[in-house]
Amino acid sequence: MSESSPTTSTTSDASIRAEGLVKQFKDGPRAVDGIDLEVAPGEIYGFLGPNGAGKSTTVLMLTTLLPITDGRASVGGFDVATQGSHVRATIGAALQEAALDPNLTAVEHMRLQTALQGIAKADRKRLGDDLIERVGLSDAADRKAGTYSGGMRRRLDLALSLVHRPRILFLDEPTTGLDPQSRTALWEEVARLAREDGTTIFLTTQYLEEADQLADRVGIIDGGKIVAEGTPAALKSEIGLPAVEILPADPGDHERVIDVLRANCSYDESQQTGNGTVSGRLREGTGLTEIVRALDAAGLKVANLAVHAPTLDDVFLAKTGRKLEGAGDDEEQDEHDHDGHHH
Amino acid sequence: MSQPRRFTETALILAWRNLHNFYTSPALIIPALLFPLFFFTAFAGGLSNVENVPGFDFPNGYTAFQFGFVLMQSAAFGGVFTGFGIARDFESGFSRRIMLATPHRTAMLAGYAISSFVRAVVVGAMLFAIALAVGMDYSGGVLDTVGLVALALGVNMLALLFASGVAFRFRTIQAGPLMQTPVFMVLFLTPVYVPQALLHGWIESVAAVNPLTFVIESGRSFIAGVPEELLLAFGFGAVAALVLAIWSLTGLRKAEQAGG
Repeated sequence: MSESSPTTSTTSDASIRAEGLVKQFKDGPRAVDGIDLEVAPGEIYGFLGPNGAGKSTTVLMLTTLLPITDGRASVGGFDVATQGSHVRATIGAALQEAALDPNLTAVEHMRLQTALQGIAKADRKRLGDDLIERVGLSDAADRKAGTYSGGMRRRLDLALSLVHRPRILFLDEPTTGLDPQSRTALWEEVARLAREDGTTIFLTTQYLEEADQLADRVGIIDGGKIVAEGTPAALKSEIGLPAVEILPADPGDHERVIDVLRANCSYDESQQTGNGTVSGRLREGTGLTEIVRALDAAGLKVANLAVHAPTLDDVFLAKTGRKLEGAGDDEEQDEHDHDGHHH
Repeated sequence: MSQPRRFTETALILAWRNLHNFYTSPALIIPALLFPLFFFTAFAGGLSNVENVPGFDFPNGYTAFQFGFVLMQSAAFGGVFTGFGIARDFESGFSRRIMLATPHRTAMLAGYAISSFVRAVVVGAMLFAIALAVGMDYSGGVLDTVGLVALALGVNMLALLFASGVAFRFRTIQAGPLMQTPVFMVLFLTPVYVPQALLHGWIESVAAVNPLTFVIESGRSFIAGVPEELLLAFGFGAVAALVLAIWSLTGLRKAEQAGG
């Protein structure tokens, strides 16, 4: 297919824009179902959702690795469907599984990637060494990637995605499977990229904490649709005041505890997790003290009582009726099967 | 950087990577070298008395007769093994790195082809040296040798185009038998052990219509220094290359459609 020239690129202020984006797999599910989103230059956009929600499929479409079924999208001002090579020249991407060759060292990976990206020969070695140092792999630069830990592989993958100084970076679940230390190191590097280099970052994650800490704005996706979008603070404020969670000491008191919560909180049957703990969101003017007094007055003993501020998980629960953690596990294989591994 | 130069650089760096892996991985290089040697030793050594059978008319003896086949076979299998590498790259996700980084995705195929050619040349040269060392009677001149090498590289390319088409479509190493079996069958349905005139029954009929028979016979004629059936051999090669190039490139498009 011939591509439009860069001079005819879509003019757009947004780094990434999708309108009615759809991916329908042949004889399969509609993995992405009419997504609209816009990511501003220099912004970190967190795309949060459970396994199988459509996150990776969206990334594959936006990075030109998967054709769009319907709708349109532009990345860096270039149309994803008709200006694929210009899009690819603009972006960097570290996809879900670090695509490394186990037989190549970090230095050899850099040699390959800089050549693939068309970097001038004179600059390749210095650029490669700089990036290896930047992600803290200098000591392992001459070791084959097959001997690397998961964190090292992710860091090398990130470094490789940066060789051509992309304006826009796609990171698909970059910290999945990493230990907390590696995860924190990667977060710092991602934040630095946005802060110091002005890189636009589209980050998919299933970790609430990651989206909360890193993202300027979050889009929550479930079943191929965006169910909520905004800054983490704005999304959480939509939920309201903190929630109180009570586990009765005697399981037989379950209904009576619900009565106390109904009298003092916003109680919603559909928001209960079904594990014996009863929860309700505090009302304006009602504090924990009132709840404790009410329980005491009713002669109820509790095994556990906790108050927690709204989280993105609460947002997900409010929008989908399910908790994010653990949601979508049944769909995981489904999305993987449709992320380019049709056998 | 100009587009053709970028295409060439992409193909060359991918060829470097494939060859680097080939020559530094014992699991890849040892079978690739031993396989043709085994066939050559087994056929040329174990069946050497075939040259005494009435009707065996190849002038340079049985070792040279077998060399003609094993050279083509090793070239073909070199192409198939490169197809395995393509499938492995798709299975591991490495191909996505290539597809994302390069503006010319057909350069991927060019890169694999270059590495396949180099592998075929190295294995063929080793085979040639060993065959000469064990006393192969080689009557071909420089032009005959060029023709023989061109024929072997052509077979390598045909096998690569076929195997890459399969690899692009299935994108898993589990498709290995689908790449290897048809090539194996087409190769062995030619006059492998004896000249065509000595074949009998169904194998004679099949070999007579198998276009690869012309290629094998042509290769042997180069070894004997009296080139024959060149038009049929190279004509078949050109037509097959066109058909298989379409097969491979449409496979690449399917791989792109599937997300790499």
